[in-house]
Amino acid sequence: MSGEEEENAAELKIPDEFLKAKCLMNCEVALILEHKYEQLQQMADDPMNQMSQVFEKSLQYVKRFSRYKNPDAVRQVREILSRYQLAEFELCVLGNLCPETVEEAIAMVPSIKTRGRAHDDEAIEKMLNDLSLIKKFE
Amino acid sequence: MQLHPRHFGRDLRDKLVAKLMKDVEGTCSGRHGFIVAITGIESVGEILEAVVTMVNKMGFFAEAGPVQIFVSNHLIPDDMEFQSGDIPNYTTSDGSVKIQKDSEVRLKIIGTRVDATEIAQTSLAQLLSRAVLLSYSLFTLILVILSTASRSDNQLCSLIPIRQQILIIRLLSQFCIGTIKDDFLGVISDPGATS
Repeated sequence: MSGEEEENAAELKIPDEFLKAKCLMNCEVALILEHKYEQLQQMADDPMNQMSQVFEKSLQYVKRFSRYKNPDAVRQVREILSRYQLAEFELCVLGNLCPETVEEAIAMVPSIKTRGRAHDDEAIEKMLNDLSLIKKFE
Repeated sequence: MQLHPRHFGRDLRDKLVAKLMKDVEGTCSGRHGFIVAITGIESVGEILEAVVTMVNKMGFFAEAGPVQIFVSNHLIPDDMEFQSGDIPNYTTSDGSVKIQKDSEVRLKIIGTRVDATEIAQTSLAQLLSRAVLLSYSLFTLILVILSTASRSDNQLCSLIPIRQQILIIRLLSQFCIGTIKDDFLGVISDPGATS
Protein backbone atom coordinates (compact mmCIF):
# COMPACT_ATOMS: atom_id res chain seq x y z
CA MET A 1 0.00 0.00 0.00
CA SER A 2 1.78 3.13 -1.15
CA GLY A 3 0.62 6.61 -0.23
CA GLU A 4 0.39 7.78 -3.78
CA GLU A 5 -2.28 5.68 -5.39
CA GLU A 6 -2.74 5.49 -9.10
CA GLU A 7 -5.81 6.98 -10.62
CA ASN A 8 -8.44 4.39 -11.39
CA ALA A 9 -11.97 5.40 -12.20
CA ALA A 10 -13.21 1.84 -11.82
CA GLU A 11 -12.40 2.01 -8.12
CA LEU A 12 -13.48 5.63 -7.90
CA LYS A 13 -9.87 6.65 -7.42
CA ILE A 14 -9.96 10.01 -9.08
CA PRO A 15 -8.20 13.17 -7.94
CA ASP A 16 -9.95 14.84 -5.00
CA GLU A 17 -10.93 17.97 -6.84
CA PHE A 18 -12.73 15.88 -9.41
CA LEU A 19 -14.32 13.59 -6.90
CA LYS A 20 -16.02 16.55 -5.29
CA ALA A 21 -16.67 18.46 -8.47
CA LYS A 22 -19.87 18.44 -10.41
CA CYS A 23 -19.83 16.12 -13.38
CA LEU A 24 -22.00 16.51 -16.45
CA MET A 25 -23.43 13.80 -18.64
CA ASN A 26 -22.91 13.97 -22.39
CA CYS A 27 -26.53 14.98 -22.88
CA GLU A 28 -26.12 17.92 -20.48
CA VAL A 29 -22.91 19.06 -22.11
CA ALA A 30 -24.68 18.84 -25.48
CA LEU A 31 -27.39 21.23 -24.28
CA ILE A 32 -24.82 23.73 -23.00
CA LEU A 33 -22.59 23.57 -26.06
CA GLU A 34 -25.52 23.83 -28.43
CA HIS A 35 -26.76 26.88 -26.62
CA LYS A 36 -23.31 28.38 -26.99
CA TYR A 37 -23.23 27.45 -30.65
CA GLU A 38 -26.55 29.19 -31.26
CA GLN A 39 -25.19 32.31 -29.60
CA LEU A 40 -22.17 32.20 -31.86
CA GLN A 41 -24.45 31.85 -34.84
CA GLN A 42 -26.34 34.98 -33.90
CA MET A 43 -23.17 36.96 -33.38
CA ALA A 44 -21.35 36.13 -36.58
CA ASP A 45 -21.92 35.12 -40.16
CA ASP A 46 -19.55 32.24 -39.93
CA PRO A 47 -19.82 30.49 -36.58
CA MET A 48 -17.53 27.68 -37.66
CA ASN A 49 -14.74 30.20 -37.97
CA GLN A 50 -14.94 31.21 -34.36
CA MET A 51 -15.08 27.80 -32.87
CA SER A 52 -12.00 26.15 -31.60
CA GLN A 53 -11.42 22.66 -32.81
CA VAL A 54 -11.81 21.40 -29.28
CA PHE A 55 -15.24 23.00 -29.09
CA GLU A 56 -16.31 21.65 -32.43
CA LYS A 57 -15.14 18.12 -31.73
CA SER A 58 -16.61 18.15 -28.24
CA LEU A 59 -19.97 19.29 -29.59
CA GLN A 60 -20.01 16.62 -32.28
CA TYR A 61 -19.06 13.96 -29.80
CA VAL A 62 -21.61 14.77 -27.13
CA LYS A 63 -24.36 15.10 -29.73
CA ARG A 64 -23.55 11.72 -31.18
CA PHE A 65 -23.40 9.99 -27.81
CA SER A 66 -26.26 11.64 -25.98
CA ARG A 67 -28.88 9.08 -25.02
CA TYR A 68 -31.38 11.76 -24.16
CA LYS A 69 -31.98 14.75 -26.41
CA ASN A 70 -35.02 16.36 -24.89
CA PRO A 71 -34.05 18.86 -22.13
CA ASP A 72 -36.85 17.63 -19.86
CA ALA A 73 -35.67 14.06 -20.18
CA VAL A 74 -32.12 15.15 -19.42
CA ARG A 75 -33.33 16.84 -16.26
CA GLN A 76 -35.28 13.75 -15.23
CA VAL A 77 -32.30 11.48 -15.73
CA ARG A 78 -30.25 13.53 -13.31
CA GLU A 79 -33.08 13.69 -10.85
CA ILE A 80 -33.63 9.96 -10.87
CA LEU A 81 -29.97 9.03 -10.67
CA SER A 82 -29.36 11.48 -7.86
CA ARG A 83 -31.73 9.48 -5.64
CA TYR A 84 -29.23 6.65 -5.50
CA GLN A 85 -26.31 8.14 -3.53
CA LEU A 86 -23.95 7.92 -6.45
CA ALA A 87 -20.71 9.83 -6.79
CA GLU A 88 -20.97 12.47 -9.49
CA PHE A 89 -18.66 10.49 -11.70
CA GLU A 90 -20.69 7.30 -11.33
CA LEU A 91 -23.91 9.13 -12.07
CA CYS A 92 -22.50 10.46 -15.33
CA VAL A 93 -21.08 7.18 -16.54
CA LEU A 94 -24.43 5.48 -15.94
CA GLY A 95 -26.31 8.30 -17.66
CA ASN A 96 -23.91 8.20 -20.61
CA LEU A 97 -23.79 4.47 -21.18
CA CYS A 98 -27.34 3.51 -20.12
CA PRO A 99 -26.56 -0.10 -19.22
CA GLU A 100 -29.50 -2.44 -19.64
CA THR A 101 -28.77 -5.10 -17.06
CA VAL A 102 -27.45 -5.08 -13.51
CA GLU A 103 -24.46 -7.12 -14.63
CA GLU A 104 -23.66 -4.61 -17.34
CA ALA A 105 -24.05 -1.68 -14.95
CA ILE A 106 -21.57 -3.22 -12.52
CA ALA A 107 -19.12 -3.91 -15.34
CA MET A 108 -19.38 -0.27 -16.42
CA VAL A 109 -19.12 1.23 -12.91
CA PRO A 110 -17.57 -1.41 -10.62
CA SER A 111 -17.37 1.07 -7.74
CA ILE A 112 -21.14 0.99 -7.21
CA LYS A 113 -20.77 -2.48 -5.71
CA THR A 114 -17.69 -1.92 -3.57
CA ARG A 115 -16.93 -0.57 -0.13
CA GLY A 116 -20.13 -1.78 1.40
CA ARG A 117 -22.25 0.80 -0.33
CA ALA A 118 -25.98 0.39 -0.20
CA HIS A 119 -26.48 -0.77 -3.74
CA ASP A 120 -27.90 -4.25 -3.89
CA ASP A 121 -28.87 -5.75 -7.21
CA GLU A 122 -32.48 -4.87 -6.62
CA ALA A 123 -31.75 -1.17 -6.16
CA ILE A 124 -29.58 -1.12 -9.27
CA GLU A 125 -32.27 -2.86 -11.27
CA LYS A 126 -34.85 -0.32 -10.16
CA MET A 127 -32.54 2.49 -11.15
CA LEU A 128 -32.01 1.01 -14.64
CA ASN A 129 -35.76 0.52 -15.05
CA ASP A 130 -36.43 4.13 -14.12
CA LEU A 131 -33.86 5.22 -16.68
CA SER A 132 -35.29 3.12 -19.47
CA LEU A 133 -38.75 4.52 -18.78
CA ILE A 134 -37.50 8.05 -19.41
CA LYS A 135 -36.05 6.90 -22.71
CA LYS A 136 -39.31 5.25 -23.68
CA PHE A 137 -41.40 8.34 -23.06
CA GLU A 138 -38.96 10.88 -24.39
CA MET B 1 -16.63 37.20 -8.59
CA GLN B 2 -15.14 39.91 -6.45
CA LEU B 3 -11.80 41.57 -6.85
CA HIS B 4 -10.15 43.79 -4.26
CA PRO B 5 -9.91 47.44 -5.40
CA ARG B 6 -6.14 47.38 -4.94
CA HIS B 7 -6.00 45.29 -8.09
CA PHE B 8 -7.77 47.93 -10.13
CA GLY B 9 -5.65 49.56 -12.75
CA ARG B 10 -4.07 48.85 -16.01
CA ASP B 11 -3.86 45.14 -15.75
CA LEU B 12 -7.31 44.72 -14.29
CA ARG B 13 -8.18 42.25 -16.97
CA ASP B 14 -5.16 40.07 -16.28
CA LYS B 15 -5.89 40.16 -12.58
CA LEU B 16 -9.47 39.15 -13.18
CA VAL B 17 -8.50 36.33 -15.47
CA ALA B 18 -5.83 35.15 -13.06
CA LYS B 19 -8.28 35.22 -10.18
CA LEU B 20 -10.91 33.48 -12.21
CA MET B 21 -8.51 30.70 -13.02
CA LYS B 22 -7.29 30.48 -9.47
CA ASP B 23 -10.83 30.29 -8.19
CA VAL B 24 -12.02 27.87 -10.77
CA GLU B 25 -9.14 25.51 -11.20
CA GLY B 26 -9.34 22.59 -8.89
CA THR B 27 -12.12 23.93 -6.73
CA CYS B 28 -14.84 23.74 -9.34
CA SER B 29 -17.63 24.86 -7.09
CA GLY B 30 -20.61 26.85 -8.25
CA ARG B 31 -19.63 30.02 -6.40
CA HIS B 32 -19.63 33.57 -7.68
CA GLY B 33 -22.69 33.13 -9.82
CA PHE B 34 -21.23 31.09 -12.57
CA ILE B 35 -21.89 27.53 -13.33
CA VAL B 36 -18.94 25.28 -13.03
CA ALA B 37 -19.12 21.78 -14.29
CA ILE B 38 -16.96 18.96 -15.38
CA THR B 39 -17.65 16.40 -18.00
CA GLY B 40 -16.83 12.99 -16.73
CA ILE B 41 -14.52 12.02 -19.50
CA GLU B 42 -11.14 10.44 -19.84
CA SER B 43 -10.29 8.97 -16.52
CA VAL B 44 -8.12 5.93 -16.45
CA GLY B 45 -10.44 2.98 -15.95
CA GLU B 46 -13.41 4.83 -17.34
CA ILE B 47 -15.60 3.20 -19.95
CA LEU B 48 -16.80 5.46 -22.72
CA GLU B 49 -18.04 5.41 -26.26
CA ALA B 50 -16.01 6.53 -29.24
CA VAL B 51 -16.02 6.61 -33.02
CA VAL B 52 -13.45 4.58 -34.95
CA THR B 53 -11.36 6.83 -37.20
CA MET B 54 -8.70 4.50 -38.60
CA VAL B 55 -8.11 0.76 -38.69
CA ASN B 56 -4.79 -0.97 -39.45
CA LYS B 57 -3.04 -4.18 -38.56
CA MET B 58 -1.59 -2.65 -35.40
CA GLY B 59 -5.04 -1.93 -34.04
CA PHE B 60 -7.44 0.97 -34.44
CA PHE B 61 -7.78 4.64 -33.54
CA ALA B 62 -10.97 6.11 -32.18
CA GLU B 63 -12.07 9.58 -31.16
CA ALA B 64 -14.14 10.77 -28.23
CA GLY B 65 -14.56 14.45 -28.95
CA PRO B 66 -11.11 16.01 -28.99
CA VAL B 67 -9.49 12.96 -27.46
CA GLN B 68 -7.69 10.32 -29.51
CA ILE B 69 -7.71 6.75 -28.31
CA PHE B 70 -5.61 3.93 -29.66
CA VAL B 71 -6.65 0.31 -29.20
CA SER B 72 -3.82 -2.05 -30.06
CA ASN B 73 -4.59 -5.42 -31.63
CA HIS B 74 -3.52 -7.09 -28.38
CA LEU B 75 -6.46 -5.37 -26.74
CA ILE B 76 -8.96 -6.47 -29.34
CA PRO B 77 -10.64 -9.83 -28.60
CA ASP B 78 -8.63 -12.78 -29.92
CA ASP B 79 -11.44 -14.03 -32.14
CA MET B 80 -11.35 -10.82 -34.19
CA GLU B 81 -9.02 -10.94 -37.18
CA PHE B 82 -7.62 -8.07 -39.19
CA GLN B 83 -8.92 -7.93 -42.76
CA SER B 84 -7.12 -5.69 -45.21
CA GLY B 85 -8.76 -4.31 -48.33
CA ASP B 86 -10.61 -1.16 -49.34
CA ILE B 87 -12.15 -0.89 -45.91
CA PRO B 88 -9.70 -2.40 -43.43
CA ASN B 89 -11.51 -3.92 -40.47
CA TYR B 90 -11.44 -6.40 -37.61
CA THR B 91 -14.04 -9.14 -37.98
CA THR B 92 -15.05 -12.17 -35.94
CA SER B 93 -14.65 -15.55 -37.64
CA ASP B 94 -18.40 -15.87 -38.17
CA GLY B 95 -18.53 -12.33 -39.63
CA SER B 96 -21.18 -11.18 -37.18
CA VAL B 97 -19.16 -8.36 -35.60
CA LYS B 98 -17.05 -5.92 -37.53
CA ILE B 99 -14.99 -2.92 -36.50
CA GLN B 100 -14.23 -0.47 -39.29
CA LYS B 101 -13.96 3.28 -39.83
CA ASP B 102 -16.99 5.09 -38.36
CA SER B 103 -18.06 2.16 -36.18
CA GLU B 104 -19.12 3.22 -32.70
CA VAL B 105 -17.33 1.29 -30.00
CA ARG B 106 -17.51 1.15 -26.25
CA LEU B 107 -14.06 0.96 -24.77
CA LYS B 108 -12.18 1.27 -21.53
CA ILE B 109 -9.36 3.75 -21.02
CA ILE B 110 -6.32 1.96 -19.63
CA GLY B 111 -3.59 4.53 -20.08
CA THR B 112 -2.81 8.05 -21.12
CA ARG B 113 0.02 10.07 -22.46
CA VAL B 114 0.47 13.63 -21.35
CA ASP B 115 2.08 16.02 -23.72
CA ALA B 116 3.61 18.75 -21.58
CA THR B 117 4.84 20.86 -24.46
CA GLU B 118 1.33 21.28 -25.70
CA ILE B 119 0.31 22.61 -22.33
CA ALA B 120 3.10 25.17 -22.32
CA GLN B 121 2.27 26.40 -25.78
CA THR B 122 -1.32 27.20 -25.04
CA SER B 123 -1.56 30.91 -25.39
CA LEU B 124 -4.22 32.47 -23.27
CA ALA B 125 -4.58 35.54 -25.45
CA GLN B 126 -5.07 33.45 -28.53
CA LEU B 127 -7.73 31.43 -26.84
CA LEU B 128 -9.46 34.45 -25.39
CA SER B 129 -9.89 35.82 -28.87
CA ARG B 130 -12.28 33.01 -29.52
CA ALA B 131 -14.34 33.97 -26.49
CA VAL B 132 -13.36 30.68 -25.06
CA LEU B 133 -10.87 30.67 -22.28
CA LEU B 134 -8.87 27.54 -22.00
CA SER B 135 -6.48 26.96 -19.23
CA TYR B 136 -4.48 23.94 -18.43
CA SER B 137 -3.58 22.82 -15.02
CA LEU B 138 -1.43 19.77 -15.30
CA PHE B 139 -4.18 17.42 -16.34
CA THR B 140 -7.06 19.75 -16.72
CA LEU B 141 -8.39 21.71 -19.59
CA ILE B 142 -10.73 24.45 -18.60
CA LEU B 143 -13.05 25.87 -21.16
CA VAL B 144 -14.87 29.01 -20.22
CA ILE B 145 -17.90 29.84 -22.22
CA LEU B 146 -19.02 33.40 -21.84
CA SER B 147 -22.73 33.83 -21.99
CA THR B 148 -22.20 36.76 -24.29
CA ALA B 149 -20.15 35.76 -27.24
CA SER B 150 -17.92 38.77 -27.34
CA ARG B 151 -14.61 38.24 -28.96
CA SER B 152 -13.09 41.41 -27.70
CA ASP B 153 -10.50 41.16 -24.98
CA ASN B 154 -11.41 44.63 -23.76
CA GLN B 155 -14.96 43.66 -23.17
CA LEU B 156 -13.94 40.56 -21.33
CA CYS B 157 -13.22 42.26 -18.04
CA SER B 158 -16.68 43.75 -17.97
CA LEU B 159 -18.16 40.42 -18.85
CA ILE B 160 -16.41 38.25 -16.34
CA PRO B 161 -18.35 39.35 -13.26
CA ILE B 162 -21.61 38.91 -15.10
CA ARG B 163 -23.46 35.67 -15.21
CA GLN B 164 -21.59 33.24 -17.33
CA GLN B 165 -21.27 29.61 -17.94
CA ILE B 166 -18.07 27.87 -17.33
CA LEU B 167 -17.61 24.42 -18.59
CA ILE B 168 -14.62 22.47 -17.58
CA ILE B 169 -13.69 19.65 -19.78
CA ARG B 170 -11.29 17.32 -18.22
CA LEU B 171 -8.67 15.89 -20.44
CA LEU B 172 -6.14 13.63 -18.87
CA SER B 173 -4.35 14.00 -22.13
CA GLN B 174 -5.28 14.22 -25.71
CA PHE B 175 -4.11 10.74 -26.35
CA CYS B 176 -5.24 7.63 -24.54
CA ILE B 177 -4.81 3.90 -24.81
CA GLY B 178 -7.97 1.82 -24.70
CA THR B 179 -9.11 -1.76 -24.69
CA ILE B 180 -12.21 -3.56 -25.88
CA LYS B 181 -11.11 -6.88 -24.45
CA ASP B 182 -13.51 -7.09 -21.55
CA ASP B 183 -17.15 -7.84 -20.78
CA PHE B 184 -19.68 -5.49 -22.33
CA LEU B 185 -17.09 -3.70 -24.44
CA GLY B 186 -16.91 -3.65 -28.21
CA VAL B 187 -18.93 -2.48 -31.18
CA ILE B 188 -22.19 -0.71 -30.45
CA SER B 189 -23.10 0.25 -33.98
CA ASP B 190 -21.86 -0.10 -37.53
CA PRO B 191 -21.38 2.87 -39.83
CA GLY B 192 -24.59 3.83 -41.55
CA ALA B 193 -26.70 1.76 -39.19
CA THR B 194 -28.29 4.85 -37.70
CA SER B 195 -28.93 6.72 -40.95
